[in-house]
Amino acid sequence: MFNEIYELVTGPLAWIGWGIFLLGSVYKLASLWSLAKKKDTSSIYYTKAKFGLRSIAQWSLPFGTLGWRETPSVTVVTFVFHICLILVPIFLSAHVILWEEWFGVSIPALPNHVADVMTLLVIAGGTFFAWRRFSVPEVAFVTSGHDWFVLGVVVAPFLTGFLAYHQIFNYEVMIVLHVITGIAWLALIPFTRLSHMLVSWYSRAYIGSEFQGVRHCKDW
Amino acid sequence: MKKIIPALLAMVLVLVFMLPAFGQEDIVELKDPAFTAPKRPAAVFKHDEHNELAQIDDCTPCHHEDVDEEGQFIEGDPDYKCADCHTVEKGNGTPLQLAYHKMCIDCHTEKKAGPVACGQCHVK
Repeated sequence: MFNEIYELVTGPLAWIGWGIFLLGSVYKLASLWSLAKKKDTSSIYYTKAKFGLRSIAQWSLPFGTLGWRETPSVTVVTFVFHICLILVPIFLSAHVILWEEWFGVSIPALPNHVADVMTLLVIAGGTFFAWRRFSVPEVAFVTSGHDWFVLGVVVAPFLTGFLAYHQIFNYEVMIVLHVITGIAWLALIPFTRLSHMLVSWYSRAYIGSEFQGVRHCKDW
Repeated sequence: MKKIIPALLAMVLVLVFMLPAFGQEDIVELKDPAFTAPKRPAAVFKHDEHNELAQIDDCTPCHHEDVDEEGQFIEGDPDYKCADCHTVEKGNGTPLQLAYHKMCIDCHTEKKAGPVACGQCHVK
């Protein structure tokens, strides 16, 4: 029974998840682009690579902008959370073995204890963001059910992955949950607020161009 | 008292002759000494129990040496170690870890039986 379920979630379901993620991302970008061309041509006209890249580079530095300096705790957690969130799924040693065995791709692996700490940092970061949504009035005010759902989707593969790796609770149940939540995480990127992974680059480039090219001032 | 001494002696002798039997202990895990810094606990593998359960009589495909022209494994000597041919570091042929993983998981996937996920074999 387990073998059939495992084969289903790591086979067809995983391909469907990757397909939704990739095609959905293309759709999301294309539909937003055509909307901007229809309704907001001036924003496209003013967006320049030089200003855009400058702004992205500045905002990629922790404490590199006034915005990042305003709330240091959010800055630190945001950077740590996102760095771990991207590196762990790719370079976790168990995943590196699967890259090799399923796709013949060899990449270096993170030491297990490092990946373990990074996983805990993602869970801790998610907990911090949840706490903010409850306790910081201006954040609580703009929080909807969608935000809770997204936060849950993001943290779930890390929590189930941690529990599966340490073989806490039932391993078979946990590893299947881990695969399913991981696939959901990918597939939901284009259709939820997680789409900031795809579009925030352009938002930043536009704002950078507006400030530097039109208002002639910094946006950091 | 006179009867107890030969009885004890007999017991001691039985135990002594049983020792070699313990020496030929069943394989219960794949703890290959070629892996000098293993990242996971050795895979659980009870050789005899596995083969009985899986109704395997042949030593191939697990114990093989090379493949024939049709890509089928040639029967090998079980006294040879996997690491005699498969190197830990990447080189010619299938590296040792990949060889173990493929041998177990591919068969379990095909037969829809036996462990296929990491923690099912590498039990903490």
